[in-house]
Amino acid sequence: MLILNAVINGLLFGGVLALMAFGMNLMFGVVQIVHLAYGQFIMVGLYLVYLLTVLYHVPLLLSCVLAIIAIALLSVLCYYSVVKPLLKAPPINQLLALAGLWIVLENACLAFFGATYKGVQVVLPVLHVGEIYIAASNLIGFGVGLITLGLLYLFLNKTYTGVAIRAVAQDTEVSGVMGINSRTIYLITFVVGGALAGVTAACFVPVYAVHPHFGSAFTLLAFIIVILGGMGNLIGGFIGAFIIGVVTSIGSTLLNPEIGQIIALLICLLIIILRPQGLLGVRART
Amino acid sequence: MLRIENLCSGYGGFEVLQNISLEMGAGETVAVLGPNGAGKSTLLKVISGLLKPTSGKIYFEGRRIDGKPSHEIVEMGISLVPEGGRLFPELTVYNNLLVGAYNKRTRRHFKETLEEVFSLFPIIKERQNQIAGLMSGGERQMVAIARALMSRPKLLMLDEPSSGLAPKIVASIFEFVKEIKERGYSVLMVEQTVKKAVGLADRVYLLESGRMVFSGDQTSFLNNPKIKSSYLGI
Repeated sequence: MLILNAVINGLLFGGVLALMAFGMNLMFGVVQIVHLAYGQFIMVGLYLVYLLTVLYHVPLLLSCVLAIIAIALLSVLCYYSVVKPLLKAPPINQLLALAGLWIVLENACLAFFGATYKGVQVVLPVLHVGEIYIAASNLIGFGVGLITLGLLYLFLNKTYTGVAIRAVAQDTEVSGVMGINSRTIYLITFVVGGALAGVTAACFVPVYAVHPHFGSAFTLLAFIIVILGGMGNLIGGFIGAFIIGVVTSIGSTLLNPEIGQIIALLICLLIIILRPQGLLGVRART
Repeated sequence: MLRIENLCSGYGGFEVLQNISLEMGAGETVAVLGPNGAGKSTLLKVISGLLKPTSGKIYFEGRRIDGKPSHEIVEMGISLVPEGGRLFPELTVYNNLLVGAYNKRTRRHFKETLEEVFSLFPIIKERQNQIAGLMSGGERQMVAIARALMSRPKLLMLDEPSSGLAPKIVASIFEFVKEIKERGYSVLMVEQTVKKAVGLADRVYLLESGRMVFSGDQTSFLNNPKIKSSYLGI
């Protein structure tokens, strides 16, 4: 019964993870960069919600919406200041620049908010059906995650801009010949990716208290999920998120949370060794 | 309609095209022939903006287009069918056609252009929900031509439409090119299969190791003794 509980809560948490990984995956698939400061964007989102709710007494839902918009704008700023100048640079330069952004954001939060845990006190009930206990916070995260992913699916399949984003991800050169300005698409991708980091932060509000090193764990987790599913493969990332959600949840329940993290990293290592293209990945484009 | 003057271009210091000049009028079909590695595909890449020229000028309808980004060149009415089709493999045929009409000038005419293209390629209408990457080579080439037509081009450029296809399929692809030509499009075609391409062309250019070595109409091409021996095997 303990394990069943862990599996269910892991699946629910997987919904939020899927959302988080989707943002990083989309940016990799379209712009071909690994967004190393992605978790830090989520962290800044949590700090913003804290700032607005606790210090300025803005209603919680409104502060979540404001945080999502702010993170999308931060992402635009990141595109213009860090990513765009390095689009034609070697990948290692892009990686180092984004790692630099990671350090900058971490220390900015440290300087501004201090090293202690900050959180919004949200008391949500724990629901139970028979002997199965489900945290309402997980349920909300799962719902928001799936709805957002559903909207993204429609966006990427049914709108002109969405289909163009996929076209650029599949063949940047030919998409240019079709009249698509890839720079515009990159910008839109950063807006969407940033907004997703913001939504993820909003889902995390009732679950976590935030501290300056909060982001690194989630950058890593998002990256693990992306590798697990196959880089740039959005469906693979979706499946990977649920696998990681369930595995870490079982590990934490039976042993302790650190073990859950270690198992996630082990899975990542195994995938890199045995199936480097990821579960649903395809061979690298040339 | 299209005028190229003393064009040079290449990759990383290596000059592939040397002093190329070419001219074609509206409604004309021009074939650029030549062996592998002569620079035929490079020429189309430079015209469509995928590659920058190192020197020389390209005019389209009197306006200079060399060095402009490819998405602006499509907007002006030049459309490229890349070698091998290069469809977006994970998109459906319909979405490939949608992307083909992406530019501002044609996007609002999407529905009517789609009907026109379907009338030209009825089989595509039946296959529109198929994932493009799962189609056969000939079907992909056909969809690639259809996708290029979705941008309502004034000039359609075909990069080796016959490459990698079985002879029977090549014949049907050239049938389509003929029909497109008859509908009044200007067609600039780059080919290795000389005979079929020459049959369709109003004018022929011959490219060898980056230089234009011949230009003229069909008859003078077919009657040139040097060309006869090295390209037609007569």
